[in-house]
Amino acid sequence: MRSRAAAAILSGAGFKEVYSMEGGMHAWKGFVSKGIPEAGMTYFSPAHRPEEFIGLAWLLEDGSKKFYSKIAEILEEQEAANLFQKLSAEEEAHKGFLFKIYQEVSGLNSDPGFPGSVVAMEAGEDYMEGGLRVSKALEWARGEKLNGILELSISLEANSHDLYIKMERKIEGEKGKKVFKTLAEMEKEHLNRLSSLFERNLEEAEK
Amino acid sequence: MGILDYFKPVSTWPAEKVRQFLKEKNPQDYNLVDVRQPKEYEQGHLPGAQLIPVGELDGRLKELDPNKPTIAY
Repeated sequence: MRSRAAAAILSGAGFKEVYSMEGGMHAWKGFVSKGIPEAGMTYFSPAHRPEEFIGLAWLLEDGSKKFYSKIAEILEEQEAANLFQKLSAEEEAHKGFLFKIYQEVSGLNSDPGFPGSVVAMEAGEDYMEGGLRVSKALEWARGEKLNGILELSISLEANSHDLYIKMERKIEGEKGKKVFKTLAEMEKEHLNRLSSLFERNLEEAEK
Repeated sequence: MGILDYFKPVSTWPAEKVRQFLKEKNPQDYNLVDVRQPKEYEQGHLPGAQLIPVGELDGRLKELDPNKPTIAY
């Protein structure tokens, strides 16, 4: 999962030939891995206009927010549940930043159809970072332990951090750049929090 | 190029293919990157793999040669 996010980052950074090893270390040791199914992925057509990628970012933040808040409900581990609750609230705040910059870029004060007005999407489906359907991810998460869920979340945040860096480069205007720069930093911070909780869990498991 | 290219599927190799590749090539011919956490790396990693947790990757790209085939796991 994480190697997939890593491979996408490396390819985007100009690495010529990049492969993600299927199933990771488990597969290497001969175990059958049960990663999140590829079938859950969707591929959006490339966004070109700033409105389009703001809308898309908003959509993904919304999906991630929903995913995190459900995960917070499912988890029995209190510390982790709290973290996911916080992340969910922060993704909600990101939506606010994005809508603000959308207003500036589009010149519209209100847009009831947003983000459908700028991004083509399937009705009734929520997507989160990485292009994953929220319903599929939740279905998968119910059968997973905390560490598996953390791994997926780390991959998502890595993807989204990378996406915001790209958007920052691409969007024109100081304000837009600033918004995406801030979002990239915030997702990086999510990534760090998730990674350190994951690392701590691994340490505790060793004791 | 669209900004959302990252949604496109990335190329994957099964473990067996990686095993074969590592056997046939010299370590200086490729980048082998372990993107997991340090604790996982400590518990076992592929021979010669370089540890760069995914959260640090964007800041440490300089440690890798973009012209060599790169395998991440």
